Amino acid sequence: MAFQIVINLIIACMWMFLNESYTFASFVAGYLWGILLLFLLNRFIPDTFYLRRVGKVIKLIFLFIRELVLSNIEIVKLVYKRQPQFEPGIFMLPLDLKSNWEITLLANLITLTPGTLSVAIAHDNSHIFIHAMHIDDIDESIRSIKDTFEKAIMEVTR
Amino acid sequence: MIETGIDITLNISVSLFILIGTFFVLSSSLGIARFPDIYTRLHAATKASTLGISSMLIGTFLFLYAEHDIVSGKLLLAIVFILLTAPVSGHMISRAAHKSGVKPVTANRSDAYEDALQKHRKNS
Amino acid sequence: MTDALAISERILDISILISIVGISLSLILLVYRIIKGPTNPDRAVALDAIGVNLMGVVALVAIVLISSKLNDVVLLIGILSFLGTLAVAKYLEAGVIIDRDRD
Repeated sequence: MAFQIVINLIIACMWMFLNESYTFASFVAGYLWGILLLFLLNRFIPDTFYLRRVGKVIKLIFLFIRELVLSNIEIVKLVYKRQPQFEPGIFMLPLDLKSNWEITLLANLITLTPGTLSVAIAHDNSHIFIHAMHIDDIDESIRSIKDTFEKAIMEVTR
Repeated sequence: MIETGIDITLNISVSLFILIGTFFVLSSSLGIARFPDIYTRLHAATKASTLGISSMLIGTFLFLYAEHDIVSGKLLLAIVFILLTAPVSGHMISRAAHKSGVKPVTANRSDAYEDALQKHRKNS
Repeated sequence: MTDALAISERILDISILISIVGISLSLILLVYRIIKGPTNPDRAVALDAIGVNLMGVVALVAIVLISSKLNDVVLLIGILSFLGTLAVAKYLEAGVIIDRDRD
């Protein structure tokens, strides 16, 4: 991945020198040419095409924004209810992710999803403790966190 | 003719963004004032205020672009920064509250973190 | 067409006024929580939210003054309130902010 980005930057700089115009616009044009070349010559370069991974990162960002808006609407509904009904509680979620970066990302995503807030992480990184607004449907939220977020993060990092 | 049309659209959209942002920020504060315990208050503080402040900053960004033709990167950086840091500060405060002994209001005493902490203390 | 432009500018002015009033109300609610707050973490939450609200106030002032000089202020208030919240949270958790012997 890093190797491909370096090749892409070299192609962009070469495009600038060949054009003899050292502006940002020609750099961007060279970068686009480099992407095209890397895509065509993908067979001769180690690793898969790196824009695939970039696409997955963009997908993760859009997931993040969608969940943020949904959770906001939920919270606002709860705030303006006359008699808000809570059944709060803290539950435990077993983690499949291992490295520190992945767990940080997952904790941030959990905090911004509807009705859940990450409270703490166990000492051996094996569990994460989550405070939920409605403790009754924890199975539902465990399944959604496992299915959407952990899968999306794994696709990006591995 | 076209330019005045663009100006009108920009003005209307800036006021819409600012009003939506103010609504979310106000409801987050209302949640902080109304909810029963610290953890539910953190729900309100971390979620609603991030979207509210991002919406207000987007409104300011559009306004500065319309008036000055400035593409202000600092405001966009501030939005990214708020989106990244609000969950982190919520996590820190909730862990600190739990460690300093604030009991959550729970339905049928479902506090897995307390159980795990007690188990850890017993083992060590 | 110029009438419509004038009307839209008027709408913008009115909505800025409404927003300033709304943010003031939310600041009053947060100050109430700081004074009343049963425990110290409640006060920390309210202080964090006050930092966020101050960012909004500065953004509104930037619109009122039609100035781009306040962008740094928005970013700086965000960074400083985040650092302050982290320091308060560490203090509440362990009683010290900088722990010397890390295990």
